[in-house]
Amino acid sequence: MARWGMVIDLDRCTGCAACEVACKSENNVAAVSADQADMGRASSWMKVMAHVEGEFPDTTMHFYPRPCMHCDNPPCIRVCPVQATYIDDEGIVGQIYARCIGCRYCANACPYMVKYFNWYGPEWSESERQHLNPDVSVRPTGVIEKCTFCHHRLQKAREDARADGRELREEDYQPACADVCPTNAIAFGDLDNPSHAVHSLKADPRVLRLMEDLGTQPKVYYLRPRE
Amino acid sequence: MSPSRREFLWTMGAAAATVALKGAQDVFWESDESLDVGWVPGIEERRNSACLICPSRCGISGRLVDGRLVRINGNPLHPLSRGGLCPRGVAGVQMLYHPERLAGPMLRAGPRGGGQWETVTREHAISRVADRLGELRAAGRPETLALLAGYNAGTIQDIWRQFLHSFGSPNYVADEYEDGTDAVMALMHGIDRRPSYDLDRARLVLSFGAPMFESWWSPLQAFVAFASPGDEAESGPRFVQIDTRFSRTASRAHEWVGVRPGTHAVLALGIAYVLIRDELFDADFVARHVSGFEDFVDAQGQPREGYRSLVMRNYRTEEVSAITGVPVARITSLARAFAAVRPSVAVCGTDVTFAPNGLLAGLAVHSINVLMGSINRPGGVLFPEDTPIRPLATPVLDETARAGVGREPIGAGGSTFASGDPALRFAEAVAGAQAPVEALLLYYANPIASSAQPEVWREALEKIPFVVSFSPFLDETTRYADVILPDLLPYERWQDAPTPFSYPYPVWGLAQPLVEPRQGAWHTGDVVLALAQSLGGNVAESLPYESFEGLLKERARGLFAVRRGMTLGGEFERTHHRQMEERGWWLPEHAEFEPFWEELVERGGWTDQFYDHTDPYRLARTDSGRIELMPAALFNALAEQGSALRPYLDVATPTAEGSREFGLRLIPYRVSTLASGTLSLERWLAEQPGIFPDVLWHPWVEVAPETAHTLGFSDDTLVWVVSPQGRYRARLKVFPGTAPETVCAPYGLRQPDGQPANPLQLLDGSNDPLTGLPSWSSTFVRLERV
Ligand code: SF4
Ligand code: SF4
Ligand code: SF4
Repeated sequence: MARWGMVIDLDRCTGCAACEVACKSENNVAAVSADQADMGRASSWMKVMAHVEGEFPDTTMHFYPRPCMHCDNPPCIRVCPVQATYIDDEGIVGQIYARCIGCRYCANACPYMVKYFNWYGPEWSESERQHLNPDVSVRPTGVIEKCTFCHHRLQKAREDARADGRELREEDYQPACADVCPTNAIAFGDLDNPSHAVHSLKADPRVLRLMEDLGTQPKVYYLRPRE
Repeated sequence: MSPSRREFLWTMGAAAATVALKGAQDVFWESDESLDVGWVPGIEERRNSACLICPSRCGISGRLVDGRLVRINGNPLHPLSRGGLCPRGVAGVQMLYHPERLAGPMLRAGPRGGGQWETVTREHAISRVADRLGELRAAGRPETLALLAGYNAGTIQDIWRQFLHSFGSPNYVADEYEDGTDAVMALMHGIDRRPSYDLDRARLVLSFGAPMFESWWSPLQAFVAFASPGDEAESGPRFVQIDTRFSRTASRAHEWVGVRPGTHAVLALGIAYVLIRDELFDADFVARHVSGFEDFVDAQGQPREGYRSLVMRNYRTEEVSAITGVPVARITSLARAFAAVRPSVAVCGTDVTFAPNGLLAGLAVHSINVLMGSINRPGGVLFPEDTPIRPLATPVLDETARAGVGREPIGAGGSTFASGDPALRFAEAVAGAQAPVEALLLYYANPIASSAQPEVWREALEKIPFVVSFSPFLDETTRYADVILPDLLPYERWQDAPTPFSYPYPVWGLAQPLVEPRQGAWHTGDVVLALAQSLGGNVAESLPYESFEGLLKERARGLFAVRRGMTLGGEFERTHHRQMEERGWWLPEHAEFEPFWEELVERGGWTDQFYDHTDPYRLARTDSGRIELMPAALFNALAEQGSALRPYLDVATPTAEGSREFGLRLIPYRVSTLASGTLSLERWLAEQPGIFPDVLWHPWVEVAPETAHTLGFSDDTLVWVVSPQGRYRARLKVFPGTAPETVCAPYGLRQPDGQPANPLQLLDGSNDPLTGLPSWSSTFVRLERV
């Protein structure tokens, strides 16, 4: 059984945010109006965070692309009263929109703040609907949404592999963010499979996980910058 | 370093936090009718094309479902972008399906700029334009036609120029700044062309204010070099960023060297000092290929100091350190690294050349490439050949055309070594009624939003009786048009996509229609050809092409015939081809043109990855055949102008102190692209404008914590940025990476209501008299609470 995870090299990330926009395009994440954005209601399943240290001129800045951590011990699923958010056999934390009652307990429980609430239905104009990705459902008002590790790509890759009568390869299943990154900062694959890059990368001495002390056991690893 | 929990929460910003805190009363479940988009399993397809949004022109691969463009991915075969993209490229689907796209050709109904339009057929619109232009020719005044072009590349530029030329107008006006590096190359190498940088093979890249990871000619070229394969930190070149601003590029480079505003070139000469003092420079290269290094006697018989004496006498590290603010030890170590880590290359950015002494500063920066012999060598500055596409038909000029093109172009002249801002000079001439313009064509130019002087443009437009815009959107300048013939969007049209000058190998990318073109819109390339046909005579003869697509195919025959290069291919194919060509081999892969063309379209273009490093013609084309550190043309021009400027001595922006009233130095920087801002706002990009997670949609300016403190402003205060020239509204962001007493202002943003927020309108208007390029860092502003 695969255990999907991600390793993001902070030395390689230039903060360009191609991953962020690719995620929105792949997963039909609707933009909100400027007013709504001011109220903190914009959704970014993948968000590039800047971490700044020091004072001028001894400043450093690193960028943390931040998807859902797909925690192995996810606090979000424990608080959901209707089991709308769940972790599957391969470690992907998902969200069942039809089941979600919009209580937002999970959003509050997630220490990484990666769960987004749909205060209003998505605003897609007639013409914009044409670019919606038919592999991903659009979300209605009143439900929580989040990064799925582009789960629909896994399903598709599996079907393709099965049709070809072969094993699923590492390159068959890559989420949109890892796919687009111009500096290959994001590695993705099966953490337990020695032939996948993430398997050895997660053993790198530079490895770091966010807020590990909370016991969430994130499956998104970061490689801390070399000094 | 790893952020602590508290810091991480801080970093994540208020945006996410407020989600959790906002009141719960309006939570409700609602079944949403609008979500029924009626999907059925579709037919999926992937097709290669090119991104035309910025000068990088990366390779893209469109994912199509039932003929809709659903995703834009990178094309891994493209040698420059290699499957990567920037966020603007990805967001292209929102441009294509933008709700505000114009439906079709329109004529003005009612007063200018009044916003009333009449929808007409293509034929109607084009005959209106053709009639009007025909009248100008018939009246023998073809020179009163002008084109303002914000996109100046490839075949579309070629046919626009050919059209105007055969029509009889000398007024092709590029609405684009040069960056001044072409003037530097012309003076030192006799090669009038911007330099290419072999970043892939360099081991050390010293960037003097070039925003390589942001809005450089090709951020993707820099990204690919930055991320070259291998897990070791040493795998790609080492990037050193010399920058006033702690930019995104500065933060992600391996090393950031903060310099005082306008002193980049002084640091370069400080490096030159160490290279010469410690005999680290390539003496053999200098002896064989360079002139002006030692003292010499000029054409007038005057003895002159050479480069060595000037540098040794004036740029002792202590003095350089005092001017630039960079410690002596750092200067020495930079110079040693530049000499030791070969190949190394210095890249000159607009922070250097957009200054009152920009040209001389550019010369100084490039001189360290010359010292190290980083010219025409792997990993250095290269001058590649042009892409061997077929030229256009020879233009045919009749009497009218000959007379017209013989006239002085409007706003011509500019400066001795570069054209500065030709668009602004054009507007000034027209606004000042010095030159009559009867008809103006706007091609991807929106000066009302992008220009430093929108008022001049408004006045100029008032004076032009007939304005035609080809913009797909009703942008600020298009609102003044009489006729709008909206172009197709990039994903709907054929276009060639040459890579920018910064990339050292010819690439002829090809954009092909990925989706059915929108009804009503019309490829401007085809409009130009149709206009030529309906004007008839010599204009039609000069552009004898059925369609723009047909023309591109015709030009590709040049690539087929040239017996080198390849259609785009993967790493292995590229290497294989290069190695063969190095040995003088080339194997034809196609006996016929048709299959070659089909493959070219399928793969997304053509490239030749071979560069002849032995060709002396790529080193210098000066009369002496040497690279001139002391270009005679420069001295002559300075003498002619009676200028007191001295090469290698006056290379810093003269220090100005802010007055009491305007105490903060304004440092504008580009967030997006080099071209002028003509794009309608894509919403995904509005949500991702910069490095602050909580500034969405709004323009902002950055100041240092102590500056904000002194002014009594806190993060997110809404401020006016005020200079004697004007003001605009922005959010203040407190950023520890900003130098004290400066205001860093992104250029290219808009207010949520679409109004441009343009820091260039605040500039003091000073420029480099030698190039006419504007000075971007000599303006002082103050901040006022809104
Ligand atoms: S695409 Fe890559 S480099 Fe750009 S922000 Fe995302 S992870 Fe960083
Ligand atoms: S990061 Fe948040 S949403 Fe994702 S699994 Fe962990 S707790 Fe749940
Ligand atoms: S760098 Fe320029 S050409 Fe490349 S994807 Fe971005 S906008 Fe398009």
